[in-house]
Amino acid sequence: MANIIEVKHLTYRYQADDARPALDDVSFNVHAGEWLAIVGHNGSGKSTLAKSLDGLLPFTTGDVTVGGIQLTPATVWQVREKIGMIFQNPDNQFVGATVADDVAFGLENRQIPRDEMVPRVAAAIEQVGMADFAHREPSSLSGGQKQRVALAGIVAIAPDVLILDEATSMLDPQGRREMLALVRQLRTERHLTVISITHDIDEAAGADRILVIDDGRLVDEADPATIFAQADRLVQLGLDVPFTAKLKAALRQRGIEPPAAYQTTAEMEEWLWQSLSNT
Amino acid sequence: MATSAVDDVSFHVPDHSYLAIVGHTGSGKSTLIQQINALLKPTSGQITVDDFTITPKTTNADLKPLRQHVGMVFQFPESQLFEETIRQDIAFGPKNFGMGETDANKLADAMLQTVGLDSSYADRSPFELSGGQMRRVAIAGVLAMRPQVLVLDEPTAGLDPQGRQEMMALFARLHREQGLSIVLVTHQMEDVAQYAEQVAVMRAGKLVKFGTPHDVFRDAAWLKANQLDMPRAAQFAQRLADRGLAFDRLPLTAEQLADQLAARWPREGAAHV
Repeated sequence: MANIIEVKHLTYRYQADDARPALDDVSFNVHAGEWLAIVGHNGSGKSTLAKSLDGLLPFTTGDVTVGGIQLTPATVWQVREKIGMIFQNPDNQFVGATVADDVAFGLENRQIPRDEMVPRVAAAIEQVGMADFAHREPSSLSGGQKQRVALAGIVAIAPDVLILDEATSMLDPQGRREMLALVRQLRTERHLTVISITHDIDEAAGADRILVIDDGRLVDEADPATIFAQADRLVQLGLDVPFTAKLKAALRQRGIEPPAAYQTTAEMEEWLWQSLSNT
Repeated sequence: MATSAVDDVSFHVPDHSYLAIVGHTGSGKSTLIQQINALLKPTSGQITVDDFTITPKTTNADLKPLRQHVGMVFQFPESQLFEETIRQDIAFGPKNFGMGETDANKLADAMLQTVGLDSSYADRSPFELSGGQMRRVAIAGVLAMRPQVLVLDEPTAGLDPQGRQEMMALFARLHREQGLSIVLVTHQMEDVAQYAEQVAVMRAGKLVKFGTPHDVFRDAAWLKANQLDMPRAAQFAQRLADRGLAFDRLPLTAEQLADQLAARWPREGAAHV
């Protein structure tokens, strides 16, 4: 699969004399069209990494290439055309007086003519299910509705890559599910590549691949089953483990030895059913 | 017509208990807890907290002892830190309520320890800390008021898994060791299952269920109709139950589920007899 993003030997220090860099020699590729989850405890460097990818934080060492364009001060605006970002706190990313104004902001910045802009804004708001709220003030919306508006802003500028920086962590469970369902739908319809920085282990379980970041280093890179098979290590890194791993640990404490490989809930249910109904 | 944010809600919480309040965003949870220390006063009805009674006629002058009695930790409490040092920030409340500087500082250092930060933090600026540490300092400031009831509005929002677990362990310890009553507003059903003794379910301003976690979580159809999640272990147990594996009592945590599975696990070799 073609790489939409290539990161080579990326190092970043917030202050030039920081002894420990926030990102330390990080290299990885993002495949076009994949859903990549990035996990790590708070302060591990995962948000720094996301911000480095679209030039919000100017790194000093390493190479970042997005859609074939090498990220430099001269190309940063071209790179940002290709990447849309949604942050944790929806209140920190609104600029427009109404939902429609806010969604139009990115297009105005790109000097899209008004007769093209108006229908694009309307279509984007429609697509995220917020048409009834187009003329409302963003501040009057719930957290989940605000993140939908942020998504509409991204739909309007049609980037290749969507980066979610803990974008669902302040939503309630229903808001979170709706937001993720919407991202999945947009990804299919628009062939988006999704990079999701998350603490939500269930969301990470649905990703194609997971990167694990600890103290600014990339310490693991694999599919969810491989990552989740090392539950003890995830706990050591301050991360959550899937429910099946918790249940296996509790069974081991009671003298029962479950299969070592990671099991989905359906797989573990089947194993337990077989073990208990054959007697 | 004016609508009620909280409508005809009645319940009773015993001393030293751990109550969780759950329900959708907008269901009235936050409105309800703000009545417990009279930040909002009832339009009708009354709230009794130990010796204090809050009615629509209660004046603000009557409220000082109540506010000391009920400690309130709002969402993202770290945004309310303001002093130059962590010690000063924690000591601010007690001083405001008339405590001398020396005693307030001593109390501040003790509270810092209670929330799991050592004394080397006392003279540092609260703004140099990580988000999770800042939240601990804000909670230490509330604990310095020596409340008997601690009201927590989604206290783990935005923390990473380890930070969440440490925060919930702190509240459990305060509840167990110091006898604090805890009122926890949360969306985390795992925390409700693990820590709460009672659960109040709010929907559209009304109290629709009040009981133990087991009372609330055992009715899958009712939970679904009220758009509430079951704890993971209960969901998993329910799937096994649907295939014919009967549970004496629906397990709510991985530990409870493992207990019941282990109890019926076939003994080594017995399967072939």
